[in-house]
Amino acid sequence: MTVAIQLLIGIGAICGVSTVLAIITVIADATIANYGDVKIRINDDKEVVVSGGRPLLGSLMEQKIFIPSACGGRGSCGLCKVKVTSDAGDYLPTELPWISEEEKKQNIRLSCQLKIKKDIAIQIPEELFNVKEYITEVASLRDLTYDIKEATLKLIEPGEIKLRAGQYIQFQVPEYELSKESIYRAYSVASQPSVTDRVELEIRLVPNGICTTYVFNHLKEGERITINGPYGEFFLRESEREIVFIAGGSGMAPIKAILYDMREKGIKRKATYFFGARAVKDLFLVEEMRELESSLEGFTFIPALSEPSESDRWEGETGLITEVLDRHIGTGDDTEAYLCGSPGMIDASVKVLTEKGIPEELIYYDKFA
Amino acid sequence: MKQTVQLSRIQEKMKPGIITRDGFLGTDRRNLIDMLVEDDETVKRMDLTHATVAQRMIDLRDAGLRGLGNFINVEPHFEVRVDSVRGKLPCPFGDPGIFQKTNTTVRNLKSGKEVTYTDLHIHMIGSHGFYEGRGSPFRLEPETLVSVLEIKKATE
Repeated sequence: MTVAIQLLIGIGAICGVSTVLAIITVIADATIANYGDVKIRINDDKEVVVSGGRPLLGSLMEQKIFIPSACGGRGSCGLCKVKVTSDAGDYLPTELPWISEEEKKQNIRLSCQLKIKKDIAIQIPEELFNVKEYITEVASLRDLTYDIKEATLKLIEPGEIKLRAGQYIQFQVPEYELSKESIYRAYSVASQPSVTDRVELEIRLVPNGICTTYVFNHLKEGERITINGPYGEFFLRESEREIVFIAGGSGMAPIKAILYDMREKGIKRKATYFFGARAVKDLFLVEEMRELESSLEGFTFIPALSEPSESDRWEGETGLITEVLDRHIGTGDDTEAYLCGSPGMIDASVKVLTEKGIPEELIYYDKFA
Repeated sequence: MKQTVQLSRIQEKMKPGIITRDGFLGTDRRNLIDMLVEDDETVKRMDLTHATVAQRMIDLRDAGLRGLGNFINVEPHFEVRVDSVRGKLPCPFGDPGIFQKTNTTVRNLKSGKEVTYTDLHIHMIGSHGFYEGRGSPFRLEPETLVSVLEIKKATE
């Protein structure tokens, strides 16, 4: 037998043994390994005991502590990041695409991928303790346009929710033909905080989208739906500055909530709302916004169409929302802006706003990204 | 053609629940190499390359970006909308970077047909010639793409 053949046999044997050992390790980890109970210490003042060996995200969820996650724990959204302040082992390959070098230095981990096999200490924003799971019932479904639907969910248990205008919830889509397991998707709440017994959502159909297809083709009035929330930092800041709101499509939802909240609280700051759509068939809630113009002092609504058809007989503003914005707002740093919509719309609008002298730190946005 | 160990590893990552809930393979039980070869032959039969297909997808996406999330007319007879949903995806082939869940919808007003693709599709087609497995809800049939996007040889 030649040396080469002996070498190949040797390499083959090593590879074979390695593969078998790896398989045994995986099987053992999944079936035999018993990590017992482990403690999760949160923000140095709260401790929960969970079964070891399971992902941090799910373990916290069982304790009714909800970390934002748009993919239901599959490691495909990168949202469920948590700062770990104790040793939690090396980063997993499934975490690395989502973690920047700076985040590595701070020991930020992807909680859906990190399995807790020993006691662990973490830090999470305090407001997440206000996040709860709610059983709801679909009270009504309404077409706002051909591809945007309004879903109103009546809270069953608990019966009330406390949120800030502009925040979002996560909607649990049950198993159905497009999804073998239930998943979560995030939607901004369109109803104002004083409405505590229900949440109103505005959902735009996404081609092949698992959640939006469910909402458009399967969701029925009377159906029970689980949600959790509220989440998010998109809310009106306290100041006396003039306000510019910019939205497109279902980006209407959080802006509507903020405007109705302003009216109820008697906030009379000068506010202009630019809403971009392509044609009249893409506009919705225009009557509600016109009514707000008469009941909310200082408020102006400016819908703009980028490509109105002749049959639209449109006499309002035309052009891309950025062009309309450029024509209407003056220069100055005594304005703050709130934007909700696609990343393209937000990036282009931020460019116009900063060129007008509005400081970037006064531009708040909820990017669908 | 024989499937390499590397392609087998990649195919594992394409299964449901690894990167995305439903994976990239659909009901296709063939080896990844066979999926790649068949789609490669289809594209070659049309006298095109994956790079040309991907470039057309990029050009239409970039033209659609001007619509800022709404449909916009693109010459000669297309309507294009570029929109995003929350989340990002890594490439199952292990390339660096993560891809925004950006949906580009192209309506061909002449044929009345439309397709929707993501930035990850553009990357997987351009860099790997991968259009997803048969039965995958996100598979893009090469012939459909070429027909709806009216893709022609780069020299034409």
